[in-house]
Amino acid sequence: MKAFFATARLCVRNSSEFGLMNTLGEYLIKLIALAAQWMVWRAVLPEGAVVDGMTRRGMLIYVTVSSALAPLLDVRTPASGWLHDGTLLGLFQRPRGVFGQLAAHTAGGWLIPLGLYGLPLLLLSALLGFAPVPASGWFFPSLLLCVCQGFAVDYLFACLQMAIRNADWAMYVLRGALTALLTGALIPFAALPWGIGRWLDLSPLGTLAGAPLALLAGIGDPARLIGAQVFWNITLWPLALWAFRASRERMVSYGG
Amino acid sequence: MAGNIKRVFRLYGLYAKMDWLLLSRDMRTGLLYIFSDWISAVASVMGIALLAVRFEGIGELSADEVLWMLGFFTMADGFTMMMMGNCNNLWISRVVGRGQVDHMLIQPVPLWMQLLTGGFLPFTGSSGFLTGVALTVIATVRLGLVMTPGWLLLLLTYMLARVAVATGVAYLAGTAAFYRPVSCEELSTVALDALNAAGKYPLAALPVWAQGLFLTALPVGLMAYLPSLLLLGRIDAPAAYVWPVAAGAAFLSLAGWLFRKGLKHYARYGCPRYKAMGFRN
Repeated sequence: MKAFFATARLCVRNSSEFGLMNTLGEYLIKLIALAAQWMVWRAVLPEGAVVDGMTRRGMLIYVTVSSALAPLLDVRTPASGWLHDGTLLGLFQRPRGVFGQLAAHTAGGWLIPLGLYGLPLLLLSALLGFAPVPASGWFFPSLLLCVCQGFAVDYLFACLQMAIRNADWAMYVLRGALTALLTGALIPFAALPWGIGRWLDLSPLGTLAGAPLALLAGIGDPARLIGAQVFWNITLWPLALWAFRASRERMVSYGG
Repeated sequence: MAGNIKRVFRLYGLYAKMDWLLLSRDMRTGLLYIFSDWISAVASVMGIALLAVRFEGIGELSADEVLWMLGFFTMADGFTMMMMGNCNNLWISRVVGRGQVDHMLIQPVPLWMQLLTGGFLPFTGSSGFLTGVALTVIATVRLGLVMTPGWLLLLLTYMLARVAVATGVAYLAGTAAFYRPVSCEELSTVALDALNAAGKYPLAALPVWAQGLFLTALPVGLMAYLPSLLLLGRIDAPAAYVWPVAAGAAFLSLAGWLFRKGLKHYARYGCPRYKAMGFRN
């Protein structure tokens, strides 16, 4: 664990490659996107209206927590980017497991966004009268399972990138498009039309952000959602380990 | 003048040929990129479209009108990418911050001409535009809009105005990279992402002062909202019809003036990140 935390500490220092202005700019974009979401929810949900158990207040807290905890709800290790530029190959030369190193880098990279954006946003939300207090204590184990499952999903996406000959940008774009909608991070499944949310909330992507956020809002059945998360963790981790082992001979990097 | 115009079209032809070669040399990868852009274009507006369906509209717009607005947003954004997306011509802070302006200055073609034509991607970069056209056509049919030549001309004008606003904002932000190449290398990306993050939402729920801000200094409302209201006939004030074009011209002029000042600074100091073996240190 000492090596894990030492790597994570290094990544905290390196997490802002382009400096403060760029980092603050990124947080500004997130704030603008969140403000736009608030705007829409205020427009479509009148005060006092309830949609499948969610009030306007619950909806606003849902999207705020989703934005604040984004790095945990959609885990992005550096695997895909490093595969593209060759950095990933260097991890094989170190006396540690590749997955462990990637996890340490990822965990270290969480500190700045959570400290400079996530925490202040949650505090601001509480000050504005939208305290992000979970409706169910099951939110916390669900969040832990979501992070664990998020790593497995990320490694599977990296394997997919190897399979399509390192088409880094295509994979980045595809993943961004799929995860925004299908994880429930952008829109609560309860608010989707035609009942499609009921199909998505137990899916391998839907149990990522969707499960903990539904428990936070008090609209999900803990046994059903956490059961699904446990199932996907048990299924996806062996699959990710097997796929990574099978794919690593196919790694192609540009390097330089 | 006529020579310049002829040269611009020759360059567009050359970039189109290069884009076709990129696609035809490795069709599998090219199609993968096109497919991923297409999925991304659809998914980026799908959330708002689904909400509009579920709640039978957003604010004063009906579900079909929201779909039309999203179609315009996707089409205009795709058009911007198709015309300016190659060689980082739109994300100009990358070119400036990496010291790559040198590469352009040694070409026997004026800089403005390179910036105007070098981003053209008619084959691999047209997915968003075509998706937007399809969405707009579907919404137009559902709404029963009557398309006159004048209306189509206005649509094209607002699309060009949208390109001008986005390019102006990207170049305004990118100019900072002349002075701070490292910390501002990605500033155009940040500015464009901010425009796109909020630009596809209807602004109706905002207070008047915020709408005013988003239609002027922070022009997210010019990405789709105001042009859509105008083209859907939701606004009667004649002055409003001119505003997207005027704002596009203003942003582009201001960006051009500041960019030229930045170039003068660059001519004197260069970029400290440039290395003979490449760029960035």
